[in-house]
Amino acid sequence: MLCARPLLFRSACLSKSIPSRPFSKDSAAASYDVVIVGGGLSGLALAAAIGSLPLARELLNIALVDASDLTRKYNWNSDPHTYSSSVCSITNASREFLDSIGVWQHVEQSRTSPIESMQVWDGISNSRICFSNSDIDPGGSIFEMARLTENLNLHRALLHRLDEIPGRVELIDQVKVESITRSGTWPVVNLSGGRSLQTRLLIGADGFKSPVRSFAQIGSSGWAYPSHAVVGTLHHPSSNHPQHNTTAYQRFLPTGPIAFLPLTKEVSTVVWSTSVQLASILRSVHPDVLAHLINAAFRLPEVSIRYLHSILLERGADGITPESITEEIKFRENAHGIGPHSALYSSDVVSLGVGIPPIGSEAYPPLVHSVQAGSQASFPLKLSHADSYVGEGVGERTALVGDAAHTVHPLAGQGLNMGLEDARVLAQTIGEALSLGGDIGSYISLIPYHTARYAPNHAIISVIDKLHKLYSLTSPPAVWARSVGLEVLNELGPIKSALMGVAGSKTKQDMAEPLQHYGAAGWHAAATVVESLSGGIRTGKVVAGSLGGLVSSLVQNAAKNTRG
Amino acid sequence: MNRIASIRRTVRSLHSTASTINPDEIDFFSRLASQWWDPRGEFALLHRMNPVRVGFIRDKIIQTLDEDITPLDHLSPTRSARILDGMEALDIGCGGGLLAESLARLGARTTGVDASESNIKIAALHASADARLTTGINYRYGSAEEMVAEGKKFDLVCSMEVLEHVNNPRTFLTSCADLVKPGGHLFLSTISRTPLSYFLAIFMAEHALRLVRPGTHDYSKFVKPSELVEFFQHPDLAWISRTYGGIPIRKEAEIRGLIYNPLEGAWKTLPAGLSGTQCNYLFWARKPNLS
Repeated sequence: MLCARPLLFRSACLSKSIPSRPFSKDSAAASYDVVIVGGGLSGLALAAAIGSLPLARELLNIALVDASDLTRKYNWNSDPHTYSSSVCSITNASREFLDSIGVWQHVEQSRTSPIESMQVWDGISNSRICFSNSDIDPGGSIFEMARLTENLNLHRALLHRLDEIPGRVELIDQVKVESITRSGTWPVVNLSGGRSLQTRLLIGADGFKSPVRSFAQIGSSGWAYPSHAVVGTLHHPSSNHPQHNTTAYQRFLPTGPIAFLPLTKEVSTVVWSTSVQLASILRSVHPDVLAHLINAAFRLPEVSIRYLHSILLERGADGITPESITEEIKFRENAHGIGPHSALYSSDVVSLGVGIPPIGSEAYPPLVHSVQAGSQASFPLKLSHADSYVGEGVGERTALVGDAAHTVHPLAGQGLNMGLEDARVLAQTIGEALSLGGDIGSYISLIPYHTARYAPNHAIISVIDKLHKLYSLTSPPAVWARSVGLEVLNELGPIKSALMGVAGSKTKQDMAEPLQHYGAAGWHAAATVVESLSGGIRTGKVVAGSLGGLVSSLVQNAAKNTRG
Repeated sequence: MNRIASIRRTVRSLHSTASTINPDEIDFFSRLASQWWDPRGEFALLHRMNPVRVGFIRDKIIQTLDEDITPLDHLSPTRSARILDGMEALDIGCGGGLLAESLARLGARTTGVDASESNIKIAALHASADARLTTGINYRYGSAEEMVAEGKKFDLVCSMEVLEHVNNPRTFLTSCADLVKPGGHLFLSTISRTPLSYFLAIFMAEHALRLVRPGTHDYSKFVKPSELVEFFQHPDLAWISRTYGGIPIRKEAEIRGLIYNPLEGAWKTLPAGLSGTQCNYLFWARKPNLS
């Protein structure tokens, strides 16, 4: 039974039913208007967005190529008690886009969690910034700031949406791109198995190492951070925590930020960026050891965190048992005078889960009882930005979206949202070119996409990078300056609401308006603030320079934001 | 060598047919023709202008289609995504086929005419690379006058950035008007004759910024919007019945300024009327129906 798979994959079945053709690649090249390389979230969202264009049905022949088995993602059906540790934060702007292209309705809502507030604090000075819905609209008409969900939930939703758009997007999975060549000015994608696709427009949604970007000879600049991120699924049942697990927590430790991201009332995800050596140990320690370390990492003073890190590095993943790490944490708690009635106490998780929680518990995430078996993973952290999102000359008829165009540190949860916004704008650009009789692969048709996306992405990339660098500093003047900065920022409503515009908040009244401008203004404000801070620290003019510059830029931006 | 010979032949043949085409200009543009399709090359300004002028054509066509709908038709306004479906379009002075390809993609059966044989060759070559265009587009080397002599008529006649290059604009405009079917549309884009247009189109674009090769334009050939309105208002044609302060009524003709922002690298159309028409502008007029 050849085509027993769902409708979606009929094309893939078809491609396999055709034996390798006896003639040359060129003569076998099928002709497409759009070929997307990469079936990740950005690539699939772009396919859905282009496929949903009113003009696409008549005018476009679209294919998406991916190396993985998309059928497995299409059929993903997880046990209700296990969660994938690969999660994403979807801003309200992104959600609105997913809704407009018919994807959001396919997202399993019970496996998403709203974020109603965020707590971000300095690992050394403990100065803190709190974002909550009351910052934007004291009237309380805001429902949430962002939505967290597993990547697979969104992945499946995208595939189900594509299945609904009959005949418009051909999915070709489990094939590798062997090479990309040209036939005249049109790119030809040569796939493993001998199939070749000639295309008017080739889109690279093929990630950090983008073969399409190399083919188009588009340079990119960036670097690998000397750190990796460790992720894991955290269980914290029968929590007596004062919040209903709708608050995201992030502590900036000098080794990198650790973030606690809610998934359900009793399940959350950790994203812990730290040194490469520590990450490799954390990824392979016993899950209970990791649970203790996560609780401690949000609570113990930085000096004790450093001590725990030195123990990990000394003994390695196998040299530490849940009992031994509990003893170490207890010892540090005693040293700091942290007792069972303190919100900072974490060494006895079970007794803390019952009764009245200590005062100030809402400032820290719920205590983790266990880390889901098999959920620990780690990945390297990078920054990169392509020199252009649209190829020209030798690279003509190409465009880049998502990680192929830009890779950022996950500390702000912006990577996917940037990719989705790329998809939205590129689809809109293609729609506009179609309505003007343009050749959608031409540089002239595509350049509005580059113009609209490059500067906003650049602002986000630089803020995220500078935040990361700023918080990895430990010298007292730097810590003081950034702490003052954060506290001043915390008091300034307009900037906070602008930043939250990016984080995805909005009021019900704003529903009809596009959020993108709001977000861009926020990042520009944040960019100026961070610029002042990091610039001040670098040049040593900590007191006069950064504070003066910070306050003036805050005021200027606050003015701009309230006007705009 | 072949190309130069063919251009010489072109020039000779044009002399003998007493056409409106200026032989010096044919020679000039033939040399540029190979660069037609480089979006960053010598015709970058034209490439950037194309989406804007197609937008103007699209919007006028949609507007007139909407207005032509009688109450009875109103129940079935299911229009194709390709708004020019079923129309015959002519692009006079099509160059490398920039506008002609767009018209064909929007559904029109398009004929592109150019006085330069090498332009026609480049245009045909370029269109042949695109399977979606091969059936809807047809290029021919010739002039508007030859088309008139053959009695050809079109729903849509366009001549973009051509009027300011012809030797006898009156004859040229008469030919353009002849080629339009009753109820059909004529679209022109050109440059007005003002101190500003001298400064922008010749001094800045050709000499200071070198956006366009020096010698491309001749100030004395520039045409004012008022002259176009006057031409189409003349009783011989009577496409425009009356004007208010020099502005024709919306259902008969429209003038729109077209400005280039060098910082954004983008063209923009201004609202209908005479404001901002001191340099580049777009012109549309509709031939009255016989009834």
